[in-house]
Amino acid sequence: MKSDKAGTKPGAGANRRSAAFLVRFVALLVAFYAIVASHPVNDAVIVPFTSGIARVSAAILNVLGEKVTVQGTEIRSSRFAVAIENGCNGVETALLFGAAVLAFPAPWKRRLLGLLLGSVAIQVINLVRVVSLFLVGVHWPAMFGTSHTILWQSIVVLCGVLLFLLWAARETRAQQRVAVEESDRGASRPR
Amino acid sequence: MARPGRAEPDAFPIRLDGGAALRVAAAFVAALAVWFAFATPYEKTLAAAAQVAIRAFERPAATRLDAVGGEIRVDRSDFPPDSARPGLPAADLHFNFALLAALFALPPHPLRQANFGRFWLAAVLLWAVHVLALVFQVESVYATRLGPWSAEHYGAVARNFWAAGFHFYQILGRFAAPFVLWWGVGRVGQKPAGK
Repeated sequence: MKSDKAGTKPGAGANRRSAAFLVRFVALLVAFYAIVASHPVNDAVIVPFTSGIARVSAAILNVLGEKVTVQGTEIRSSRFAVAIENGCNGVETALLFGAAVLAFPAPWKRRLLGLLLGSVAIQVINLVRVVSLFLVGVHWPAMFGTSHTILWQSIVVLCGVLLFLLWAARETRAQQRVAVEESDRGASRPR
Repeated sequence: MARPGRAEPDAFPIRLDGGAALRVAAAFVAALAVWFAFATPYEKTLAAAAQVAIRAFERPAATRLDAVGGEIRVDRSDFPPDSARPGLPAADLHFNFALLAALFALPPHPLRQANFGRFWLAAVLLWAVHVLALVFQVESVYATRLGPWSAEHYGAVARNFWAAGFHFYQILGRFAAPFVLWWGVGRVGQKPAGK
């Protein structure tokens, strides 16, 4: 345990930094929400992006033999149809992940790298979600509602949070190594 | 003091390994089972608490909320008797309990008394978040979905406040809440991982 200042309760500094992270995280979430909830951004960015997810998902479903077509954000076969809407496109999980990574104290270059890799991973997980939900809708339609609303939403968000925790843990260890190396170099320098 | 843009050694006490992944998965499944089993009584507590909160600011106090069949049924004493009552999907409000339970399973010994105590504290705080979200949901229905009645009783600022507040919860808040509670309550007192 360590203390930041003489007379400060041990761990108080860590708690302060933890609280600062939360404040930055929530502020970024609100800012991200204000951006993506605006109609121009939704129409120019989110909807085309969601259409792209629908096309990629349809391509995967066709490879799996489902014979689907795409119209806008809707995937359709002779047996089932699903529209990918906001909340199903992985954007909300990517925003949570992005807010957490940007709020975490780390060099900017590594934050941006984490942001890029994490967002790609979240979209891959979300593609698995869309494809599997379509298959659930075709083969087990009674389970679609629960799978869609509760199971897969939670799983994708949980994966996003775990990806952030993984990144943050690696980042912290990397910085600890750098700090130890710098301290060793300082100690071995001739006085 | 930490240099800007640098994490401090105590900044991140969680170690993620195969064991942690297994614990998270097991807790998620167990929490979902608990959630399915107790969703209806839980929704009754949410409806009762949100009703008290809404009626506290109503003159006259007219709102009545009931949890029925996976919905929160909204009724008002001044609604016409033969009009339809709005039903709000309840599961969307509170399925994030499973996320909270999964995050609290991250430490190596999640069932230790201290971690369990923090989990219950976070769960109570999450219940308060659910009540607040339900208040926003009901008020956003009042403000935007009741036609001339909404226009008569809610101005533009109030409409945007309630509707945007609930929309924020739907899009980001319900997923962020368990993470914020775990980070704020669950990580306290955990020892740094790694060497």
